[in-house]
Amino acid sequence: MKYLIMCEGPNELEIINILLRHDCLKFTRDDLLGLSAYHARQIKSSTIVKTNLNLYPGSVNILRVGDKLSERLVVPSEYQTKVISIDKYCTKPELEMLLIISEGLTADYEKVKSKEKPKIFAKKNIKYGRHSYKNDTAFYTEYYGNNPHLLVESIQEYHRIKGSHKKDEHYLAELLK
Amino acid sequence: MKLLYVTANHFKNCKDHFHINLIAQSKKTSEDKEYELQEIAEDLYVYNTMAFIGKNASGKTTAVDLLDCCYSILGEFRLENKHYSYDNVYLEIFFYHDGFIYKYTTTLSTDSTPGNKAIFTNQHIYAKKYYKTKNKSILATEGFSVLPTLGILPEDTSIVFFILGKKTTRAIYYDSFGEGADTYSLLFKALSNYNITESIFLNIIQIFDENIQDIKRIDDHNYKLRTSEQLMIVSDKELIYLLSSGTTKGILLYILMVASLQNGFDLIIDEIENHFHKTLVENMISLYKDKNINQNHATLIFTTHYCEILDLFNRQDNIWIAQSNGTISLANMYEDYSIRPELLKSKQFYNNVFDTAVNYEELMNLKRKLM
Repeated sequence: MKYLIMCEGPNELEIINILLRHDCLKFTRDDLLGLSAYHARQIKSSTIVKTNLNLYPGSVNILRVGDKLSERLVVPSEYQTKVISIDKYCTKPELEMLLIISEGLTADYEKVKSKEKPKIFAKKNIKYGRHSYKNDTAFYTEYYGNNPHLLVESIQEYHRIKGSHKKDEHYLAELLK
Repeated sequence: MKLLYVTANHFKNCKDHFHINLIAQSKKTSEDKEYELQEIAEDLYVYNTMAFIGKNASGKTTAVDLLDCCYSILGEFRLENKHYSYDNVYLEIFFYHDGFIYKYTTTLSTDSTPGNKAIFTNQHIYAKKYYKTKNKSILATEGFSVLPTLGILPEDTSIVFFILGKKTTRAIYYDSFGEGADTYSLLFKALSNYNITESIFLNIIQIFDENIQDIKRIDDHNYKLRTSEQLMIVSDKELIYLLSSGTTKGILLYILMVASLQNGFDLIIDEIENHFHKTLVENMISLYKDKNINQNHATLIFTTHYCEILDLFNRQDNIWIAQSNGTISLANMYEDYSIRPELLKSKQFYNNVFDTAVNYEELMNLKRKLM
């Protein structure tokens, strides 16, 4: 059995890759389909996921990583016997919550959260070196790439303060070692 | 350096203005940027994989011959030992190098001395700085300035030398003929030239034949083969019978693939399905799409008759259909057809959307004659 990690966007993928690189997760690359996590919303439209499912003869547990993941994941008929389970790991309302937590801006964001999405708040308030946050993957690489402990702490803190996930919405913290 | 576009006149039996655009044309989704494309400069994307498909004798090999011709000029600054006439071939090659877009034009002729070399005549190089804001007009004449004559070279050496300076492998072309017993000599040369480790070599051998534990070169034509049962000293001709020509070609191609991925040069394979099991082709394609593996901007370019392979492509602009109607032309699946992206590409081929189906009447004529 392997895990098939499907990240909703390139930023989620980078977060997972940083955690993998620093061995912060309950599993390693050896446990992943094709030794990688993937940026893919649906199997049908992702040739890289389909290729790797074709190469692996065993079964897979799908771990979806994204904000809300409200879109249903459709498993094409040819892969239905291969897929054992599908679980969602969410960072609601947006992945930028992790940056807000890392910057210690949670209380400030709480004051404006009814009218401002985390992405907009992060663009206005978060900088790393001389770079303002612009919803770019490179920012996550620079911000957390050499500081995985900050990322792990922020994921744990997110779990602590965001206890309102629905029953089928897991926390990234559950994937940490 | 990355090849961006080539146009040719009088090249083999191609129609005039035969061109291949290697710059990504259609919409680039974030998934495409992750797996299908490589960003060689800010907002300038080329492909990780490119495919040429068509009927037999439609000109697929001619298309990759033209790319090989460009890479020989850009890598070795020479053209020699090609299996086509150089006379009066006009080339216009665009490439990206160190922040600049270059346009190189030349007309070829055949060297009168023995040996199959091309002479470069009427050569010009134009350059312009690459700006992200102008990336829609990369190929436009606007902004290019002709570079002054930079020196004198032998006429069989291209003036591209003055831009790129050092000979280097830009691409390896593996044609569909194979190299027979010489494959092993090439294979060990590749291992040494591209510093491929013994561990990778043994891993590749195991993929193709689990019974082989090791192959070691003794001299140019003799090898030590260790299987699970015995150790043998064998000649290259014996080795090819022992391992089968498919395994031999497969091992060489996988070694060239590793060299390409590690060194960032392109790999051109004519008739990829001739050499491999489909799973091994799928694996190759997935390695070129993986940024953790393909870190140096290598591209896999291949021809195929096997349309199912194209279902592994997320885009359409990196697929060309070769057509021959007296002269050879290329159609691009994105630019020249309106195919809904969610449809399986192989189904379109079976529906003969691209006019690539084998002639049914001729098949039935043969069947009638055999009845």
